[in-house]
Amino acid sequence: MKFTKTAALVGAATLMLAACSGGSDPADGGNAAPAGTGPIEIWLSNNEAEIAWGEGVVEAWNAENPDQQVTAQEIPAGSSSEEAITAAITAGTAPCLVYNIATAAVSGWVQQGGLVDLTTFDDGASYIEERGGDSTAAYQNDGGYYQLPWKSNPVMVMYNKDLFEQAGLDPENPGMSTYSDFLDGARQLVDSGVQSAIWPSPTNEFYQPWFDFYPLYLAETGGTQLVEDGAATFDNEAGAAVAEFWSTIYSEELAPQEAATDDAMVSGNTAMQLAGPWAITSYGEDVNVGFMPVPTSGGSEEVVTFADSKNISMFTACENQATAWEFLKFSTSAEADGQLLEATGQMPMRVDLAGTYPDYFEANPMYAAFASQTERVADVPSIPNSVEAWQVFREAYSSAVIFGNTSTEEFLSGSAEEITGLVG
Amino acid sequence: MTDIAAPPARTPSSPGPRAGGPLRNRLLGRNPIGSLFALPYMVFVAVIFAFPLGFACYIAFHDYFFTAPGVEVERPFVGLDNFADVLTDPQVLESFRNTAVFLVINVPLTAVGALVLASALNAGIRWAAAFRVAFYVPYLTASVSLVGVWMLLFSSGGLVNSVLGPLAPDPSWLVNSALAMPSIALYVTWKQLGFYILLYLAALQNIPSELHESAATDGATTLQRFRHVTIPGVRSATTLVLILAIITGANLFTEPYLLTNGGGPDGASTTPVLLIYQQGIQQQNPDTASAIGMLLVIAVGLLSLTANRLTRET
Amino acid sequence: MTRTTTWWRYVLLAAAAIVFAFPFYFMVVGAFQENPTNTPDEMFPISGWTFGNFTAINARIDLLGSLANSLIFTAGVLLGTVTFGLLAGYALARLDFRGKSATWVLMMLVQMVPFQLLMIPLYVQITRSYGLGDTYLGMILPFGINTTAVFIFTQFFKALPKEMFEAARIDGASELRILRSVAVPMVRPALVTVVLVTFIGPWNEFLWPFLITKDTSLQPLAVSLANYISNAAQSTANPNGAILAGATALAFPVVILFLLFQRYFTASDIGAAVKG
Repeated sequence: MKFTKTAALVGAATLMLAACSGGSDPADGGNAAPAGTGPIEIWLSNNEAEIAWGEGVVEAWNAENPDQQVTAQEIPAGSSSEEAITAAITAGTAPCLVYNIATAAVSGWVQQGGLVDLTTFDDGASYIEERGGDSTAAYQNDGGYYQLPWKSNPVMVMYNKDLFEQAGLDPENPGMSTYSDFLDGARQLVDSGVQSAIWPSPTNEFYQPWFDFYPLYLAETGGTQLVEDGAATFDNEAGAAVAEFWSTIYSEELAPQEAATDDAMVSGNTAMQLAGPWAITSYGEDVNVGFMPVPTSGGSEEVVTFADSKNISMFTACENQATAWEFLKFSTSAEADGQLLEATGQMPMRVDLAGTYPDYFEANPMYAAFASQTERVADVPSIPNSVEAWQVFREAYSSAVIFGNTSTEEFLSGSAEEITGLVG
Repeated sequence: MTDIAAPPARTPSSPGPRAGGPLRNRLLGRNPIGSLFALPYMVFVAVIFAFPLGFACYIAFHDYFFTAPGVEVERPFVGLDNFADVLTDPQVLESFRNTAVFLVINVPLTAVGALVLASALNAGIRWAAAFRVAFYVPYLTASVSLVGVWMLLFSSGGLVNSVLGPLAPDPSWLVNSALAMPSIALYVTWKQLGFYILLYLAALQNIPSELHESAATDGATTLQRFRHVTIPGVRSATTLVLILAIITGANLFTEPYLLTNGGGPDGASTTPVLLIYQQGIQQQNPDTASAIGMLLVIAVGLLSLTANRLTRET
Repeated sequence: MTRTTTWWRYVLLAAAAIVFAFPFYFMVVGAFQENPTNTPDEMFPISGWTFGNFTAINARIDLLGSLANSLIFTAGVLLGTVTFGLLAGYALARLDFRGKSATWVLMMLVQMVPFQLLMIPLYVQITRSYGLGDTYLGMILPFGINTTAVFIFTQFFKALPKEMFEAARIDGASELRILRSVAVPMVRPALVTVVLVTFIGPWNEFLWPFLITKDTSLQPLAVSLANYISNAAQSTANPNGAILAGATALAFPVVILFLLFQRYFTASDIGAAVKG
């Protein structure tokens, strides 16, 4: 009995090792020069409006390029799409282009060797910089563009005008641009019987800071990213001011400590929410929605906010990279961007957005505020171990600010030190 | 009845002089055809799981990250470094503690609840079919929708707190560090119980009704019959229930991921598998994730062995 | 005395049944509501009924095609599990052979290792080594023989009275014959359990089929609905209605199956089998 057990273990181990060494044989590819034309495959996010846009663009391209056909498939938005991409890179089955890349995930995929540096195309850097302007520099990893900054959803404070009016706040001009005014307004709202003044998701996912702490931090500092020059930037007065602000919100119960079980804006359980223009369509006719820039401690007319961008990356597994590059340019041309704006209400990241599509913003004045806001946005920093750093940040924030179990000083200095260690 | 109670006759499975002789028995076992029966399963496991499993083990001892095919990077052997990292990480230790809390609540509750309900169902009552359907329904419904209902029940303004009135905990269940894990344990017990009831039902039907009848004629009460006939009669099913409950409990992921949105509040419902997911897949550190995985497998293995021993001896 | 115990049984079972069925009730009701909210005072709605949530799903995804994919996926897993799982379970419970403990060790390992740990290597293996990306086989393979089912078969055969098998052995029946004429006829209650348990896995499984198929025409219902839900949650005014309708559409076929199968739970008469 003993003997068979040992034999079984040894047998299993041998099997594993054999399988393991068999699985790691080197394949070619990797650093191939970007060339090759022919059929390519792309993945789109599964947002209905984006699919409709994507299919239109693909159809137009395929009509003109019968020998370089593009096939579009959809992947769900959110974290499961990042899992799918990580797995596909590892297996070498990634498509040529993915139109749903979050900047935070890029550094990991670059380290995996999964993404193509677009500057290796002759007109790569110049195309990206001409289309996007100076702000594109923030999207570089190690001096190369592994993503094309595509579209953004600048975060603003959305509010329910009816609830504001009911609480005695001016729905057209609430005057809540400073922290103290904002907090006064929030108290007034809760006193008037609204369940919560503002309801950011108080949960633990690494990306949640992008919709509470980070937009306010960018506004407070005029666009300083969480990490710059290999060190965390937020262990200072500005970081403390933002942390104090949110801490007051939670300790005075102006925001709940638990996640909403449905859309809190639509159900009228919250008067405000931090969100980008995509939210406007989801509120539909249920909410008489207004928006204002995120607050700062001193109040400011022109604040910077979080871009919440989704970008496009090319994958090293792609055989026909020349075709992919041409299609990438085709699908981010002024014309295609205009169609994207029309179809989805999301903001293409190109210079002078309002000037390029004047007709659209005249017809949709609601979105004009976002167009001007797109000129003052910043994104998550392109840093190594990005997701890990944000997870560390979130957990420390949650403990100190949301639940009040540790002090904000501990949170700021502790997580800043840990994050600097991670990215340095 | 007499047939079952009769002492076993000399059979091929008891040792004795047979054509093959003891030497062949020792080499191939008494029923070598068994290898043939088990072969497809063995091949399946070898073909599907041997590589990923061996690979995970390999990763745990190296400084590793996944790369695209053809990308050459250095992945030095680091010995037990990953394990040292993991074991000194307070978050990992907390996740194992959380799992212990979960198991202490979930496993006994599951075994007792499933056996009691299954024997109540098995007693030949009316509407048994309708009851079975009701018990099985949470198990067959996807977690996504059920989680929403539980959030509704246990949120601060939810049904449970309205019923409890002033006794309601503050902060509410799922955002209360002390209550989050017990709430999850209750949820999982409730969701999985139907499955364990099925296991017990199948086992209960193997207890010859004559045993119950003779016990009843001897004047045993319901409780006595439950103790002396039912419980020993389903012992092998109990082993299975305990082992499966321990294993599913230790692999807890969906619930802290969805119900407390990533191990909240403040890490009070983080589990090892949630960390494996965060570190291995989201943060692309498969090496420490694999180390957590190895520790988890060892811990679960020891627990399952203990459960096996205990149910065998009693 | 008998009457009081019966009375107790009904109270116990009924109370438990309400606790267990309540969320299902909530899900089904919400699926037909124009604007389901999660507030307790609206537990018993009387107005606002609509089919809109379902027609919206039907417009967005190919329900029949996904259903067919789910059935293929699930049938493949069931076939593998019932045939090979039964064989393995019988051998482990009733036969003494070389490699028995090895099989046990492997089973425990497979059962204990969390899928999140194996996911990426498994994906690499199936797509790259076996070239089975975007195929039904690649979808079915990792679930091919459900280990829980092997456990259930093993435990079931172990619990059967030894004498049944030994009587047949004395008569000189071969092991294969004993399996066919003694074990298989007895296995029905375990078989129903195994089918129901195995069915749930692939039916509700989202992550693996999603990873392995990007071709929408191959995706099973769970994947299509999860895609729909993640999309609807972002851009519909009634996300709860869409989510609950999606969950209902996914659960419905399973409930039907369960209703059809559950009458086979009736006890098999073991005493008679032993005597006869």
